[in-house]
Amino acid sequence: MKIANPRAAGRQARLAAHAFTLFALGVWAVYGLLVESYVMPGPAAVAVRLGEFVLDIHLLKHVLYTIGHILAAVVISFLIGSASALLAFYFPPSRLMVHGRLSPFLNSFSGIGWTLLAVVWFGINDFTVVFAISAVLVPFAIINMREGLDGLDADLFEMGESFTRRRFRRFLLIVIPSLYPFIFATLRISFGVAWKVALTAELLGGNTGLGYLLNLARQDFDMPLLLAVIIIIIAFVYSTDRFVFVPIQARLARHHGAG
Amino acid sequence: MARAESGAGAKRARRAHRTGRPNRFVEHIFAEGLIVAAILGWWLLSLGMPDYVMPGPLVVGEALVRLFIEPEFLGHTIWSTIRVVAAVIIAVLLGWALAQLPLRYPIAREIVHDRIKPFLNSFPSVGWAILAVIWFGTSDGSIIFVEVAILTPFCLVNISEGLKELDRELIEMGQSFTRSRWKTFFKITVPLLMPYVMAAVRIAYGVGWKIALVAELFGAETGLGFLMQRAQTLADASTVFATCFAIVLIFFAGEKLVIDPLARRFQHR
Repeated sequence: MKIANPRAAGRQARLAAHAFTLFALGVWAVYGLLVESYVMPGPAAVAVRLGEFVLDIHLLKHVLYTIGHILAAVVISFLIGSASALLAFYFPPSRLMVHGRLSPFLNSFSGIGWTLLAVVWFGINDFTVVFAISAVLVPFAIINMREGLDGLDADLFEMGESFTRRRFRRFLLIVIPSLYPFIFATLRISFGVAWKVALTAELLGGNTGLGYLLNLARQDFDMPLLLAVIIIIIAFVYSTDRFVFVPIQARLARHHGAG
Repeated sequence: MARAESGAGAKRARRAHRTGRPNRFVEHIFAEGLIVAAILGWWLLSLGMPDYVMPGPLVVGEALVRLFIEPEFLGHTIWSTIRVVAAVIIAVLLGWALAQLPLRYPIAREIVHDRIKPFLNSFPSVGWAILAVIWFGTSDGSIIFVEVAILTPFCLVNISEGLKELDRELIEMGQSFTRSRWKTFFKITVPLLMPYVMAAVRIAYGVGWKIALVAELFGAETGLGFLMQRAQTLADASTVFATCFAIVLIFFAGEKLVIDPLARRFQHR
Protein backbone atom coordinates (compact mmCIF):
# COMPACT_ATOMS: atom_id res chain seq x y z
CA MET A 1 0.00 0.00 0.00
CA LYS A 2 2.99 2.32 0.34
CA ILE A 3 3.51 3.99 -2.99
CA ALA A 4 5.91 6.89 -3.21
CA ASN A 5 4.96 7.95 -6.74
CA PRO A 6 1.71 9.94 -6.68
CA ARG A 7 1.02 9.23 -10.36
CA ALA A 8 1.27 5.51 -9.79
CA ALA A 9 -1.05 5.92 -6.82
CA GLY A 10 -3.52 7.80 -9.03
CA ARG A 11 -3.39 5.07 -11.64
CA GLN A 12 -3.98 2.42 -8.98
CA ALA A 13 -6.95 4.33 -7.61
CA ARG A 14 -8.40 4.61 -11.12
CA LEU A 15 -7.90 0.91 -11.72
CA ALA A 16 -9.58 0.17 -8.42
CA ALA A 17 -12.51 2.36 -9.45
CA HIS A 18 -12.91 0.49 -12.76
CA ALA A 19 -12.63 -2.81 -10.94
CA PHE A 20 -15.34 -1.62 -8.57
CA THR A 21 -17.63 -0.77 -11.50
CA LEU A 22 -17.11 -4.23 -12.99
CA PHE A 23 -17.63 -5.80 -9.58
CA ALA A 24 -20.92 -3.92 -9.08
CA LEU A 25 -22.14 -4.98 -12.54
CA GLY A 26 -21.11 -8.55 -11.73
CA VAL A 27 -23.03 -8.56 -8.45
CA TRP A 28 -26.06 -7.16 -10.28
CA ALA A 29 -25.79 -9.86 -12.99
CA VAL A 30 -25.52 -12.68 -10.44
CA TYR A 31 -28.36 -11.27 -8.34
CA GLY A 32 -30.47 -10.87 -11.49
CA LEU A 33 -29.99 -14.58 -12.21
CA LEU A 34 -31.01 -15.58 -8.70
CA VAL A 35 -34.28 -13.68 -8.38
CA GLU A 36 -37.35 -13.36 -10.58
CA SER A 37 -36.97 -10.90 -13.44
CA TYR A 38 -39.80 -8.70 -12.18
CA VAL A 39 -37.83 -8.17 -8.97
CA MET A 40 -34.48 -7.47 -10.57
CA PRO A 41 -33.72 -8.05 -14.26
CA GLY A 42 -30.05 -8.53 -15.14
CA PRO A 43 -27.89 -5.86 -16.80
CA ALA A 44 -28.29 -7.47 -20.22
CA ALA A 45 -32.09 -7.25 -20.21
CA VAL A 46 -31.91 -3.63 -19.06
CA ALA A 47 -29.31 -2.79 -21.73
CA VAL A 48 -31.59 -4.24 -24.42
CA ARG A 49 -34.52 -2.18 -23.14
CA LEU A 50 -32.29 0.88 -23.00
CA GLY A 51 -31.36 0.33 -26.66
CA GLU A 52 -35.03 0.05 -27.65
CA PHE A 53 -35.74 3.18 -25.67
CA VAL A 54 -33.13 5.26 -27.42
CA LEU A 55 -34.41 4.13 -30.83
CA ASP A 56 -38.08 4.70 -30.01
CA ILE A 57 -39.12 8.22 -30.91
CA HIS A 58 -42.25 8.05 -28.72
CA LEU A 59 -40.21 7.29 -25.64
CA LEU A 60 -37.48 9.80 -26.46
CA LYS A 61 -40.14 12.48 -26.71
CA HIS A 62 -40.62 12.16 -22.93
CA VAL A 63 -36.97 13.00 -22.33
CA LEU A 64 -37.49 16.25 -24.22
CA TYR A 65 -40.62 17.01 -22.23
CA THR A 66 -38.78 16.55 -18.95
CA ILE A 67 -35.94 18.79 -20.12
CA GLY A 68 -38.52 21.39 -21.18
CA HIS A 69 -40.24 21.28 -17.78
CA ILE A 70 -36.93 21.66 -16.01
CA LEU A 71 -35.66 24.54 -18.13
CA ALA A 72 -38.94 26.43 -17.78
CA ALA A 73 -38.99 25.94 -14.01
CA VAL A 74 -35.33 26.91 -13.59
CA VAL A 75 -35.86 30.15 -15.51
CA ILE A 76 -39.11 31.06 -13.72
CA SER A 77 -37.79 30.28 -10.24
CA PHE A 78 -34.58 32.15 -10.97
CA LEU A 79 -36.50 35.28 -11.95
CA ILE A 80 -38.82 35.12 -8.93
CA GLY A 81 -36.01 34.23 -6.53
CA SER A 82 -33.65 36.98 -7.75
CA ALA A 83 -36.47 39.51 -7.70
CA SER A 84 -37.18 38.63 -4.03
CA ALA A 85 -33.48 38.76 -3.10
CA LEU A 86 -33.09 42.11 -4.88
CA LEU A 87 -36.17 43.47 -3.13
CA ALA A 88 -34.66 42.57 0.24
CA PHE A 89 -31.35 44.11 -0.80
CA TYR A 90 -32.58 47.43 -2.20
CA PHE A 91 -35.44 47.83 0.25
CA PRO A 92 -33.94 46.76 3.61
CA PRO A 93 -37.17 46.93 5.66
CA SER A 94 -38.34 43.90 3.69
CA ARG A 95 -35.29 41.80 4.63
CA LEU A 96 -36.93 39.91 7.47
CA MET A 97 -40.02 39.43 5.34
CA VAL A 98 -38.08 37.78 2.52
CA HIS A 99 -35.31 35.96 4.40
CA GLY A 100 -37.09 35.35 7.67
CA ARG A 101 -40.56 34.43 6.49
CA LEU A 102 -40.94 33.79 2.75
CA SER A 103 -37.80 31.78 2.12
CA PRO A 104 -37.95 29.47 5.20
CA PHE A 105 -41.62 28.82 4.51
CA LEU A 106 -41.06 27.89 0.88
CA ASN A 107 -37.96 25.97 1.88
CA SER A 108 -39.82 23.68 4.25
CA PHE A 109 -43.03 23.28 2.26
CA SER A 110 -42.94 19.87 0.67
CA GLY A 111 -42.66 19.45 -3.08
CA ILE A 112 -45.27 16.71 -3.12
CA GLY A 113 -47.62 19.05 -1.29
CA TRP A 114 -47.26 21.61 -4.06
CA THR A 115 -47.76 18.93 -6.67
CA LEU A 116 -50.92 17.51 -5.13
CA LEU A 117 -52.37 20.98 -4.60
CA ALA A 118 -51.46 22.03 -8.14
CA VAL A 119 -53.21 18.92 -9.46
CA VAL A 120 -56.38 20.03 -7.69
CA TRP A 121 -56.01 23.61 -8.89
CA PHE A 122 -54.80 23.22 -12.45
CA GLY A 123 -55.43 19.57 -13.34
CA ILE A 124 -52.92 17.07 -14.70
CA ASN A 125 -50.84 18.92 -17.26
CA ASP A 126 -47.50 20.55 -18.03
CA PHE A 127 -48.39 23.72 -16.14
CA THR A 128 -48.89 21.78 -12.91
CA VAL A 129 -45.48 20.17 -13.31
CA VAL A 130 -43.69 23.46 -14.01
CA PHE A 131 -45.53 25.15 -11.13
CA ALA A 132 -44.56 22.46 -8.63
CA ILE A 133 -40.90 22.44 -9.68
CA SER A 134 -40.70 26.25 -9.62
CA ALA A 135 -42.25 26.42 -6.14
CA VAL A 136 -39.55 24.10 -4.84
CA LEU A 137 -36.72 25.94 -6.61
CA VAL A 138 -37.59 29.53 -5.57
CA PRO A 139 -36.10 29.30 -2.04
CA PHE A 140 -32.84 27.89 -3.44
CA ALA A 141 -32.64 30.88 -5.78
CA ILE A 142 -33.39 33.35 -2.96
CA ILE A 143 -30.77 31.84 -0.65
CA ASN A 144 -28.06 31.75 -3.30
CA MET A 145 -28.67 35.19 -4.71
CA ARG A 146 -28.72 36.60 -1.18
CA GLU A 147 -25.32 35.08 -0.61
CA GLY A 148 -24.05 36.91 -3.68
CA LEU A 149 -25.68 40.24 -2.86
CA ASP A 150 -24.46 40.20 0.75
CA GLY A 151 -20.93 39.54 -0.45
CA LEU A 152 -20.87 42.50 -2.86
CA ASP A 153 -17.78 44.65 -2.58
CA ALA A 154 -18.80 47.88 -0.79
CA ASP A 155 -15.75 49.75 -2.12
CA LEU A 156 -16.65 48.85 -5.67
CA PHE A 157 -20.10 50.19 -4.98
CA GLU A 158 -18.77 53.48 -3.70
CA MET A 159 -16.55 53.80 -6.72
CA GLY A 160 -19.60 53.28 -8.89
CA GLU A 161 -21.48 55.96 -6.99
CA SER A 162 -18.69 58.42 -7.69
CA PHE A 163 -18.92 57.70 -11.41
CA THR A 164 -22.63 57.90 -12.00
CA ARG A 165 -25.78 58.77 -10.13
CA ARG A 166 -27.90 56.53 -12.27
CA ARG A 167 -28.86 53.52 -10.19
CA PHE A 168 -29.78 51.38 -13.14
CA ARG A 169 -26.42 51.96 -14.80
CA ARG A 170 -24.61 50.97 -11.61
CA PHE A 171 -26.82 47.92 -11.31
CA LEU A 172 -26.07 46.85 -14.86
CA LEU A 173 -22.33 47.53 -14.83
CA ILE A 174 -21.36 46.63 -11.26
CA VAL A 175 -23.96 44.56 -9.46
CA ILE A 176 -24.79 42.11 -12.23
CA PRO A 177 -21.18 41.31 -13.24
CA SER A 178 -20.16 40.79 -9.60
CA LEU A 179 -23.04 38.38 -9.26
CA TYR A 180 -22.06 36.15 -12.21
CA PRO A 181 -20.53 33.38 -10.06
CA PHE A 182 -23.60 33.32 -7.83
CA ILE A 183 -26.02 33.40 -10.72
CA PHE A 184 -24.17 30.43 -12.09
CA ALA A 185 -24.17 28.61 -8.73
CA THR A 186 -27.90 29.24 -8.44
CA LEU A 187 -28.58 27.79 -11.88
CA ARG A 188 -26.40 24.78 -11.18
CA ILE A 189 -28.06 23.97 -7.86
CA SER A 190 -31.52 24.64 -9.30
CA PHE A 191 -30.82 22.32 -12.18
CA GLY A 192 -29.69 19.52 -9.86
CA VAL A 193 -32.69 19.86 -7.57
CA ALA A 194 -35.09 20.32 -10.49
CA TRP A 195 -34.28 16.87 -11.85
CA LYS A 196 -35.25 15.21 -8.59
CA VAL A 197 -38.43 17.21 -8.16
CA ALA A 198 -39.41 17.00 -11.81
CA LEU A 199 -39.79 13.22 -11.68
CA THR A 200 -42.07 13.35 -8.65
CA ALA A 201 -44.10 16.16 -10.14
CA GLU A 202 -44.48 14.37 -13.47
CA LEU A 203 -45.33 11.13 -11.75
CA LEU A 204 -48.18 12.64 -9.77
CA GLY A 205 -49.27 15.58 -11.86
CA GLY A 206 -48.14 15.12 -15.45
CA ASN A 207 -49.06 13.19 -18.53
CA THR A 208 -45.67 13.63 -20.18
CA GLY A 209 -42.05 13.26 -19.19
CA LEU A 210 -39.79 10.65 -17.64
CA GLY A 211 -41.66 10.72 -14.32
CA TYR A 212 -44.82 9.75 -16.16
CA LEU A 213 -42.92 6.91 -17.82
CA LEU A 214 -41.64 5.75 -14.42
CA ASN A 215 -45.22 5.59 -13.22
CA LEU A 216 -46.31 3.57 -16.26
CA ALA A 217 -43.41 1.18 -15.75
CA ARG A 218 -44.31 0.85 -12.08
CA GLN A 219 -47.93 0.05 -12.81
CA ASP A 220 -46.99 -2.55 -15.43
CA PHE A 221 -44.18 -4.01 -13.27
CA ASP A 222 -41.97 -3.32 -16.29
CA MET A 223 -38.69 -3.47 -14.37
CA PRO A 224 -36.40 -3.24 -17.43
CA LEU A 225 -38.10 -0.01 -18.52
CA LEU A 226 -37.98 1.31 -14.95
CA LEU A 227 -34.26 0.69 -14.67
CA ALA A 228 -33.62 1.98 -18.20
CA VAL A 229 -35.32 5.28 -17.34
CA ILE A 230 -33.33 5.52 -14.10
CA ILE A 231 -30.08 4.88 -16.01
CA ILE A 232 -30.95 7.58 -18.55
CA ILE A 233 -31.61 10.02 -15.72
CA ILE A 234 -28.34 9.21 -13.94
CA ALA A 235 -26.39 9.52 -17.20
CA PHE A 236 -28.01 12.82 -18.03
CA VAL A 237 -27.63 14.42 -14.62
CA TYR A 238 -24.03 13.28 -14.32
CA SER A 239 -22.97 14.35 -17.80
CA THR A 240 -24.59 17.80 -17.65
CA ASP A 241 -22.80 18.44 -14.39
CA ARG A 242 -19.51 17.07 -15.60
CA PHE A 243 -19.47 18.44 -19.16
CA VAL A 244 -21.50 21.65 -18.88
CA PHE A 245 -21.38 23.05 -15.36
CA VAL A 246 -17.88 22.09 -14.23
CA PRO A 247 -16.15 23.61 -17.32
CA ILE A 248 -18.21 26.82 -17.08
CA GLN A 249 -17.42 27.07 -13.41
CA ALA A 250 -13.72 26.64 -14.10
CA ARG A 251 -13.89 29.47 -16.65
CA LEU A 252 -15.79 31.73 -14.29
CA ALA A 253 -13.33 31.02 -11.51
CA ARG A 254 -10.45 31.98 -13.79
CA HIS A 255 -12.20 35.13 -14.94
CA HIS A 256 -13.25 36.32 -11.52
CA GLY A 257 -10.08 35.28 -9.74
CA ALA A 258 -9.99 33.39 -6.48
CA GLY A 259 -12.39 35.80 -4.74
CA MET B 1 -23.12 69.42 19.52
CA ALA B 2 -26.54 68.87 18.11
CA ARG B 3 -25.16 69.19 14.62
CA ALA B 4 -22.35 66.77 15.31
CA GLU B 5 -24.88 64.31 16.66
CA SER B 6 -27.13 64.62 13.68
CA GLY B 7 -24.08 64.23 11.48
CA ALA B 8 -23.14 61.04 13.29
CA GLY B 9 -26.74 59.92 13.05
CA ALA B 10 -26.83 60.49 9.34
CA LYS B 11 -23.58 58.61 8.99
CA ARG B 12 -24.93 55.73 10.99
CA ALA B 13 -28.08 55.75 8.91
CA ARG B 14 -26.03 55.65 5.74
CA ARG B 15 -23.96 52.80 7.06
CA ALA B 16 -27.12 51.04 8.12
CA HIS B 17 -28.42 51.47 4.62
CA ARG B 18 -25.29 50.02 3.13
CA THR B 19 -25.02 47.06 5.48
CA GLY B 20 -28.79 46.76 5.20
CA ARG B 21 -29.70 46.65 8.86
CA PRO B 22 -32.77 48.83 9.26
CA ASN B 23 -35.05 49.36 12.20
CA ARG B 24 -36.13 46.02 13.71
CA PHE B 25 -39.62 47.34 14.30
CA VAL B 26 -40.19 48.29 10.66
CA GLU B 27 -38.75 44.95 9.59
CA HIS B 28 -41.22 43.11 11.77
CA ILE B 29 -44.12 45.15 10.43
CA PHE B 30 -43.24 44.01 6.92
CA ALA B 31 -42.51 40.40 7.90
CA GLU B 32 -45.61 39.87 10.00
CA GLY B 33 -47.58 41.98 7.52
CA LEU B 34 -46.73 39.46 4.83
CA ILE B 35 -48.12 36.62 6.94
CA VAL B 36 -51.32 38.52 7.71
CA ALA B 37 -51.69 39.55 4.08
CA ALA B 38 -51.09 35.98 2.91
CA ILE B 39 -53.68 34.53 5.26
CA LEU B 40 -56.14 37.29 4.38
CA GLY B 41 -55.58 36.79 0.67
CA TRP B 42 -55.97 33.05 1.08
CA TRP B 43 -59.22 33.54 3.00
CA LEU B 44 -60.61 35.87 0.32
CA LEU B 45 -59.58 33.44 -2.41
CA SER B 46 -61.22 30.54 -0.61
CA LEU B 47 -64.53 32.36 -0.17
CA GLY B 48 -65.72 31.75 -3.70
CA MET B 49 -64.38 28.21 -3.98
CA PRO B 50 -65.50 24.83 -2.71
CA ASP B 51 -63.47 23.23 0.09
CA TYR B 52 -62.12 20.46 -2.09
CA VAL B 53 -60.41 23.01 -4.36
CA MET B 54 -59.37 25.78 -2.00
CA PRO B 55 -60.17 25.25 1.66
CA GLY B 56 -60.04 28.39 3.79
CA PRO B 57 -57.52 29.01 6.59
CA LEU B 58 -60.06 28.04 9.27
CA VAL B 59 -60.83 24.62 7.82
CA VAL B 60 -57.15 23.91 7.30
CA GLY B 61 -56.38 25.15 10.82
CA GLU B 62 -58.89 22.67 12.23
CA ALA B 63 -57.38 19.84 10.20
CA LEU B 64 -53.91 20.89 11.38
CA VAL B 65 -54.92 20.80 15.03
CA ARG B 66 -56.43 17.39 14.45
CA LEU B 67 -53.07 16.12 13.17
CA PHE B 68 -51.48 16.88 16.53
CA ILE B 69 -54.37 15.94 18.83
CA GLU B 70 -56.45 13.05 17.55
CA PRO B 71 -54.66 9.78 18.35
CA GLU B 72 -55.13 8.31 14.87
CA PHE B 73 -53.56 11.30 13.12
CA LEU B 74 -50.97 11.86 15.83
CA GLY B 75 -49.82 8.29 15.22
CA HIS B 76 -49.12 9.07 11.55
CA THR B 77 -47.26 12.24 12.51
CA ILE B 78 -45.11 10.40 15.04
CA TRP B 79 -44.33 7.52 12.67
CA SER B 80 -43.07 9.91 10.01
CA THR B 81 -40.94 11.73 12.57
CA ILE B 82 -39.39 8.52 13.90
CA ARG B 83 -38.53 7.33 10.40
CA VAL B 84 -36.96 10.65 9.43
CA VAL B 85 -34.85 10.73 12.60
CA ALA B 86 -33.73 7.13 12.14
CA ALA B 87 -32.87 7.75 8.49
CA VAL B 88 -30.87 10.88 9.34
CA ILE B 89 -28.82 9.01 11.95
CA ILE B 90 -28.12 6.06 9.66
CA ALA B 91 -27.33 8.31 6.67
CA VAL B 92 -24.89 10.44 8.67
CA LEU B 93 -23.05 7.38 9.99
CA LEU B 94 -22.99 5.74 6.55
CA GLY B 95 -21.86 8.93 4.83
CA TRP B 96 -19.18 9.39 7.47
CA ALA B 97 -17.92 5.84 7.05
CA LEU B 98 -17.76 6.30 3.26
CA ALA B 99 -15.92 9.61 3.70
CA GLN B 100 -13.34 8.02 6.02
CA LEU B 101 -12.70 5.08 3.73
CA PRO B 102 -10.32 6.86 1.30
CA LEU B 103 -8.29 8.21 4.24
CA ARG B 104 -7.71 4.74 5.61
CA TYR B 105 -7.30 3.10 2.17
CA PRO B 106 -6.14 5.71 -0.39
CA ILE B 107 -6.83 3.26 -3.20
CA ALA B 108 -10.57 3.65 -2.54
CA ARG B 109 -10.52 7.38 -3.27
CA GLU B 110 -11.94 7.16 -6.79
CA ILE B 111 -14.32 4.37 -5.86
CA VAL B 112 -15.96 6.64 -3.30
CA HIS B 113 -15.72 10.01 -5.04
CA ASP B 114 -15.98 9.04 -8.71
CA ARG B 115 -18.35 6.10 -8.52
CA ILE B 116 -20.45 5.88 -5.36
CA LYS B 117 -20.93 9.63 -4.84
CA PRO B 118 -22.08 10.62 -8.36
CA PHE B 119 -24.20 7.48 -8.58
CA LEU B 120 -26.08 8.18 -5.37
CA ASN B 121 -26.18 11.88 -6.13
CA SER B 122 -27.90 11.54 -9.47
CA PHE B 123 -30.14 8.58 -8.65
CA PRO B 124 -33.74 9.87 -8.77
CA SER B 125 -35.51 9.70 -5.41
CA VAL B 126 -38.77 8.46 -6.92
CA GLY B 127 -36.71 5.69 -8.48
CA TRP B 128 -35.61 4.53 -5.02
CA ALA B 129 -39.18 4.75 -3.76
CA ILE B 130 -40.51 2.55 -6.56
CA LEU B 131 -37.66 0.05 -6.39
CA ALA B 132 -37.89 -0.27 -2.60
CA VAL B 133 -41.53 -1.28 -2.79
CA ILE B 134 -40.77 -3.89 -5.45
CA TRP B 135 -37.75 -5.21 -3.55
CA PHE B 136 -38.85 -5.06 0.07
CA GLY B 137 -42.62 -4.64 -0.08
CA THR B 138 -44.43 -2.08 2.03
CA SER B 139 -42.71 -1.77 5.37
CA ASP B 140 -40.96 0.68 7.66
CA GLY B 141 -37.66 -0.83 6.58
CA SER B 142 -38.32 -0.03 2.93
CA ILE B 143 -39.22 3.58 3.72
CA ILE B 144 -36.12 4.08 5.85
CA PHE B 145 -34.07 2.48 3.06
CA VAL B 146 -35.38 5.06 0.58
CA GLU B 147 -34.67 7.96 2.93
CA VAL B 148 -31.17 6.71 3.73
CA ALA B 149 -30.41 6.20 0.03
CA ILE B 150 -31.40 9.79 -0.71
CA LEU B 151 -29.71 11.39 2.31
CA THR B 152 -26.37 9.54 2.27
CA PRO B 153 -24.77 11.52 -0.62
CA PHE B 154 -25.50 14.83 1.16
CA CYS B 155 -23.77 13.57 4.30
CA LEU B 156 -20.88 12.11 2.31
CA VAL B 157 -20.24 15.42 0.52
CA ASN B 158 -20.31 17.46 3.73
CA ILE B 159 -18.20 15.19 5.86
CA SER B 160 -15.55 14.66 3.18
CA GLU B 161 -15.37 18.45 2.92
CA GLY B 162 -14.71 18.51 6.66
CA LEU B 163 -12.08 15.78 6.45
CA LYS B 164 -10.29 17.82 3.78
CA GLU B 165 -10.08 20.81 6.12
CA LEU B 166 -8.89 18.69 9.05
CA ASP B 167 -5.65 19.80 10.64
CA ARG B 168 -3.13 17.14 9.57
CA GLU B 169 -0.56 18.29 12.09
CA LEU B 170 -2.91 17.73 15.00
CA ILE B 171 -3.50 14.18 13.82
CA GLU B 172 0.21 13.60 13.37
CA MET B 173 0.76 14.88 16.87
CA GLY B 174 -1.87 12.44 18.07
CA GLN B 175 -0.13 9.61 16.26
CA SER B 176 3.11 10.46 18.03
CA PHE B 177 1.34 10.03 21.36
CA THR B 178 -0.40 6.76 20.72
CA ARG B 179 -0.32 3.99 18.13
CA SER B 180 -3.97 3.18 18.62
CA ARG B 181 -5.90 4.36 15.57
CA TRP B 182 -9.15 4.27 17.50
CA LYS B 183 -7.77 6.53 20.18
CA THR B 184 -6.59 9.20 17.71
CA PHE B 185 -9.89 8.86 15.87
CA PHE B 186 -12.07 9.44 18.91
CA LYS B 187 -9.84 11.96 20.69
CA ILE B 188 -8.83 14.10 17.71
CA THR B 189 -10.67 13.41 14.47
CA VAL B 190 -14.16 13.23 15.94
CA PRO B 191 -14.03 16.49 17.94
CA LEU B 192 -12.45 18.35 15.02
CA LEU B 193 -15.02 16.99 12.60
CA MET B 194 -18.07 17.63 14.77
CA PRO B 195 -19.06 20.99 13.17
CA TYR B 196 -19.11 19.33 9.75
CA VAL B 197 -21.04 16.37 11.09
CA MET B 198 -23.58 18.78 12.55
CA ALA B 199 -23.83 20.58 9.20
CA ALA B 200 -24.49 17.20 7.60
CA VAL B 201 -27.15 16.43 10.22
CA ARG B 202 -28.79 19.79 9.57
CA ILE B 203 -28.88 19.31 5.81
CA ALA B 204 -29.99 15.70 6.09
CA TYR B 205 -32.77 16.68 8.47
CA GLY B 206 -34.01 19.41 6.12
CA VAL B 207 -33.88 17.23 3.02
CA GLY B 208 -35.21 14.28 5.02
CA TRP B 209 -38.50 15.99 5.75
CA LYS B 210 -38.81 17.04 2.14
CA ILE B 211 -38.38 13.56 0.79
CA ALA B 212 -40.25 11.78 3.60
CA LEU B 213 -43.42 12.20 1.58
CA VAL B 214 -41.78 10.79 -1.56
CA ALA B 215 -40.55 7.80 0.42
CA GLU B 216 -43.99 7.22 1.90
CA LEU B 217 -45.74 7.65 -1.41
CA PHE B 218 -45.82 4.01 -2.48
CA GLY B 219 -44.61 1.94 0.40
CA ALA B 220 -46.46 3.18 3.45
CA GLU B 221 -49.50 2.32 5.49
CA THR B 222 -48.61 4.88 8.12
CA GLY B 223 -47.14 8.35 8.11
CA LEU B 224 -47.94 11.79 6.80
CA GLY B 225 -47.18 10.80 3.21
CA PHE B 226 -49.77 8.03 3.39
CA LEU B 227 -52.23 10.46 4.98
CA MET B 228 -51.65 13.03 2.28
CA GLN B 229 -51.99 10.48 -0.49
CA ARG B 230 -55.25 9.19 1.00
CA ALA B 231 -56.57 12.74 1.44
CA GLN B 232 -55.81 13.46 -2.20
CA THR B 233 -57.77 10.47 -3.46
CA LEU B 234 -60.67 11.50 -1.19
CA ALA B 235 -60.50 15.08 -2.61
CA ASP B 236 -59.82 16.32 0.93
CA ALA B 237 -57.69 19.34 0.07
CA SER B 238 -57.77 20.69 3.62
CA THR B 239 -55.88 17.63 4.92
CA VAL B 240 -53.35 17.96 2.08
CA PHE B 241 -52.75 21.55 3.16
CA ALA B 242 -52.68 20.63 6.84
CA THR B 243 -50.10 17.86 6.27
CA CYS B 244 -47.84 20.33 4.48
CA PHE B 245 -48.13 22.82 7.32
CA ALA B 246 -47.61 20.11 9.92
CA ILE B 247 -44.31 19.26 8.22
CA VAL B 248 -43.29 22.92 8.20
CA LEU B 249 -44.05 23.11 11.95
CA ILE B 250 -42.29 19.87 12.92
CA PHE B 251 -39.31 20.81 10.78
CA PHE B 252 -38.91 24.17 12.52
CA ALA B 253 -39.46 22.69 15.98
CA GLY B 254 -36.79 20.05 15.37
CA GLU B 255 -34.32 22.58 14.05
CA LYS B 256 -34.81 25.11 16.84
CA LEU B 257 -35.17 22.64 19.73
CA VAL B 258 -32.71 19.90 18.80
CA ILE B 259 -30.33 20.80 16.00
CA ASP B 260 -29.49 24.40 16.95
CA PRO B 261 -28.59 23.53 20.57
CA LEU B 262 -26.58 20.50 19.42
CA ALA B 263 -24.72 22.59 16.85
CA ARG B 264 -23.90 25.22 19.48
CA ARG B 265 -22.70 22.49 21.83
CA PHE B 266 -20.24 21.17 19.24
CA GLN B 267 -19.01 24.48 17.89
CA HIS B 268 -15.27 25.07 18.02
CA ARG B 269 -14.33 27.21 20.94
